[in-house]
Amino acid sequence: MNEIDPSIPLRARAGDEKAFIEIVEFYYPRCLRFARNMLGSEQDAEEAVQDAFTRVYDSFPRFREDARFDPWLFRILANRCRTSMARSRRHRSMIEYGEVAALSAAAAPEEEFGADWAEEVRVVLETLPAEQREAFLLRHVEDLSYEDIAAVTGAGLSALRMRVKRACDTLRARLEKVER
Amino acid sequence: MMKRPLSLVAAAALVAIAASTARAQDARLSLIRDDATRDVVKAQLASASARGLPVDPFMSKALEGVAKKAPPKSIRAAMAALEKRMRSASDALGPLSTIDELAAGADALSVGVSDKTLKQMRTAAPGRTIAVELGVLTELVARGVPTKLATKTVLDLMAKGATGVQLTALGRDVQGDVAAGLRPDVALDLRGRNVLSLLPPPPTVSNVNVRPR
Amino acid sequence: MITEERDELIERAARSLAVLPPANHAVVMGIVQAARAHRRARPSLVTQFTGWMRAPSLSVASATMLAAATLVIGFVSGGSFNGAATAAADRGGVIRGGTTLIPAADAGADSRSVAVPMLLDAPSAKSVAVVGDFNDWDPTATPMQRFGGDGPWTVTMMAKPGRHLYAFMVDGVLTADPRAPKTKDVDYGGEASVLMVTKP
Repeated sequence: MNEIDPSIPLRARAGDEKAFIEIVEFYYPRCLRFARNMLGSEQDAEEAVQDAFTRVYDSFPRFREDARFDPWLFRILANRCRTSMARSRRHRSMIEYGEVAALSAAAAPEEEFGADWAEEVRVVLETLPAEQREAFLLRHVEDLSYEDIAAVTGAGLSALRMRVKRACDTLRARLEKVER
Repeated sequence: MMKRPLSLVAAAALVAIAASTARAQDARLSLIRDDATRDVVKAQLASASARGLPVDPFMSKALEGVAKKAPPKSIRAAMAALEKRMRSASDALGPLSTIDELAAGADALSVGVSDKTLKQMRTAAPGRTIAVELGVLTELVARGVPTKLATKTVLDLMAKGATGVQLTALGRDVQGDVAAGLRPDVALDLRGRNVLSLLPPPPTVSNVNVRPR
Repeated sequence: MITEERDELIERAARSLAVLPPANHAVVMGIVQAARAHRRARPSLVTQFTGWMRAPSLSVASATMLAAATLVIGFVSGGSFNGAATAAADRGGVIRGGTTLIPAADAGADSRSVAVPMLLDAPSAKSVAVVGDFNDWDPTATPMQRFGGDGPWTVTMMAKPGRHLYAFMVDGVLTADPRAPKTKDVDYGGEASVLMVTKP
């Protein structure tokens, strides 16, 4: 996973506007990707990303010189996404882990052979509880280490591993049917 | 009176805040190249800050002077005048005012709106911020509407529930009318009535109790 | 990469989610500008002056906003434009600097920055910028762009609802907006142009 040259956040922290622009350029695609996958709505995702960068800009003085920028940025972004979900009127009902088995059984006859893979993945992603979705995305899409994910989410390592595992189990259960 | 010594932690915290604020101040002040100007601005910022006033409007006023190539003397005078207005605005609008409200209040005072009016505006809309409404009043007076009439109209509309958006539209319409040659007080009268006609009627309690004949 | 934790199915799922959107430069600058506008709106005790610096000369110009009829009579209304540059930045209470830090209860909704299109006809100018109380009169903060060699100079900038004083910096010279109402500058003499910004 690519991390930005550590001198750039430090320059931005010292007031270098150009450095801040470089940071946005570097991280915008990944931030938008994470927010889109997390929130399922382009508009919400763009807003969350904007909010995150605004907070980064405001909070630079609190960014410790010896800290890594990546987890710090993603923590801010993950918080913005959580706030967005809490606020969203388009909030889709979250299905608890325990209900997945019943869901797949009910859906099985309806599934088309060769359904669009990406679309199917997104649908399943949306059914995951927010915490699992977040952990899964950070681990398997954004490629963060568990230590970094712990820094981003504030959760313990074993809790995070469990969330990722459950998310993978759900994905496997639903997606294997599509695969046939 | 003996001062109690600060605890070590509190003292360290204060030093840290002062240091970072000082560092923070330096970054913006360094935009001012002229030494004399920068010294003047620093002094005025310190004065404002010591009175518990938000420093951002003062920095803005200073940088306006720099953009206008004003000599240090003028910048000092401008910042001092702003401080006077900001203190009045702060007294009139109260301690929970936002920076924007204080700045807008100071602007209103600068065109001749009174402290009393600022207080009245605060009580006319107690639950919300009124920077926008203050701006509209300022603009009406700046356009030539007599202060008393402008004040009365804005307060009346606020009391009857006019929103910031409606009042801003009123302000812009009056601007247009005056530019087109209409007398300012006539323009306000006209536009004020328009806004009034759009506001919901006040609830009439008496209707409920009227007995049908 | 396939590991114990990440079998082929998960690998495929992750890959489909890992598609990166492009970093559109206009969008990036929109984000940067909105972050700066937000900073101006809510300085905290500690962050008040940090990060203040000359900005590079880039801006977000939106040609579609030029069509706004309001420009013709010199008054500017707020509009919002799509994408990440939407003014989602200005949220939450405005914090008063100095000795007290008290957020206003509902400053959020009303004090959100709005996108405002600005325009100036100056065919022989080499550089034009907007300066005003919304960008601390900084000629490097809001440079304008010209489409074609002789079109009008334009920019879409962020400003909060309310009354603003401003001018154009044309080749280093402060110039009033010929299309806007003027007001006396009480503190520095001379005149300034007035902008009334409203929520969309």
